Amino acid sequence: MAPATTAVPPAPPGTPFAIRMREVTVRYPNGVVALDRISLDIEAGEMVSVVGLSGSGKSSLIRTINALVPVTSGELEVGGHRIDGARGRELRAVRGQIGMIFQGFNLAKRTTVLNNVLVGRLSHAPWWRTMLGAYTAADRRLAFEALDRVEILPKAYQRAADLSGGQAQRVAIARALTQEPRLVLADEPVASLDPPTAHAVMGDLRRINQDLGITVLTNLHLLDLARRYGTRLIGLRAGRIVYDGDAASADDAVFEEIYGRSIGAQDVLEK
Amino acid sequence: MTDLQIPAKPRGRWKPYAATLVIVAITAVTLSPQWGIAFGFDAISRNWQNGVGKILEMLSPDFSFFPRTVAPLLETLQMAVIATLVGSLLGLPLSMWAARPTNPNSVTRTLVRTALNIVRSVPDLLYAAVLVAMVGVGALPGILALVMFNLGTIVKLVSESIEANDTGLLEAGSAAGGTRAQINRALALPEVAPAFINQTLYVFELNVRASTVLGLVGAGGLGLLIDAVRTFYRYDQLSLIILEILILVLLLDKFSDVIRRRLV
Repeated sequence: MAPATTAVPPAPPGTPFAIRMREVTVRYPNGVVALDRISLDIEAGEMVSVVGLSGSGKSSLIRTINALVPVTSGELEVGGHRIDGARGRELRAVRGQIGMIFQGFNLAKRTTVLNNVLVGRLSHAPWWRTMLGAYTAADRRLAFEALDRVEILPKAYQRAADLSGGQAQRVAIARALTQEPRLVLADEPVASLDPPTAHAVMGDLRRINQDLGITVLTNLHLLDLARRYGTRLIGLRAGRIVYDGDAASADDAVFEEIYGRSIGAQDVLEK
Repeated sequence: MTDLQIPAKPRGRWKPYAATLVIVAITAVTLSPQWGIAFGFDAISRNWQNGVGKILEMLSPDFSFFPRTVAPLLETLQMAVIATLVGSLLGLPLSMWAARPTNPNSVTRTLVRTALNIVRSVPDLLYAAVLVAMVGVGALPGILALVMFNLGTIVKLVSESIEANDTGLLEAGSAAGGTRAQINRALALPEVAPAFINQTLYVFELNVRASTVLGLVGAGGLGLLIDAVRTFYRYDQLSLIILEILILVLLLDKFSDVIRRRLV
């Protein structure tokens, strides 16, 4: 690939990633426009909540950032690395520094928690070590530390199938942390969890942001969680940004604007 | 009570009738004198006495023949073990190449699938016959024939099991920056392992059974002995061999059952 014209030089090692989007459009093969000319700047170290109805494009926004969803047109830079058009080794190197958390946890249920967390080292460890499953002591140390940070270290040798939903999501967070990420993306991380567990998982994400300084982007559909755990709130509707501002000061009127309807009990976690 | 709003009957209720009609038509054509296969039950009445003599002979197995069956029996077992090992080890990566979630590249996927469809469509006895001509009489052509046969079976069943599994978790590997091979190793392998071991055990059983037949075309194992005693009309010795195969297969069935139960 030709050297990308970067507006920002690549972020120095260990520093969190900033995100820069210019006129980014995502159109799926079936013709649906998920993102419509989005321009957005996220500073390194921010904790951002992205809200919107299902189909508003918030999942596409998050997945575009690590190229799970390809950009159709426009420019996207993450930590000074050009993402639109990036492929192969170059893309994997950037992805290796971006942790991702999914609604469905996406763990390999039939293997141990530790093996799942070591997936975070795939792009960092030598190829032959990952194929043999012979990770270095340093890699395993990272995995154990990550498990300890989400307070689930005693479960390290259990099968992932035996975990509860909340525990599984914490293992997924530990997997992301084991990447030593500079950006963490969370796609509806608490949508399949009960309220206390949801708060615990959101608390973990906030600590990742505050203690480690990592940039965190979280998709949420529950307004109180978005308000409480984000410092910045981005509202999406029909693939466009309709709100971008301080999370704490976003009131119900703002959410009604984002959702295009009145706010009901189904939009908050706590009644 | 208010009037029930009964939904309209769904369309397409004629399908079972049409299917029945097609099956009846196919059966009729098969049995008809012009297009069908030619056979008559009168052949039974003409020949049944021949069979009864053989069966009576087989009812009294010649146990003194046992020492001579030991070596071929072990050879059959060894052929099955080696073929299962080689076939399953080659089959595992090929299964991942043949399944959509573990190989999104449609060109290589179609290539592997087509190749294995061809491999699977050739019967094992034909492989053995051709291989005996190519590499000579003995256990080697038998093993090679079984490997081909195993590849076809394992890749078909294991790749289908990969496609039936939840594949969202593979996305986690992509997001972490893994290569396709790394993702398949770290995430797809543990998920498919039980199905793979299951199919491997199944194929092992099939191999023991098949390797007794392969000897008929010169590909080693018990089959060579079967062919020899049959040529000399020693049905008492033949029945001992069949008895041995029966016991062996029952033992293997028990053995794989024990392993399977520990898998889940």
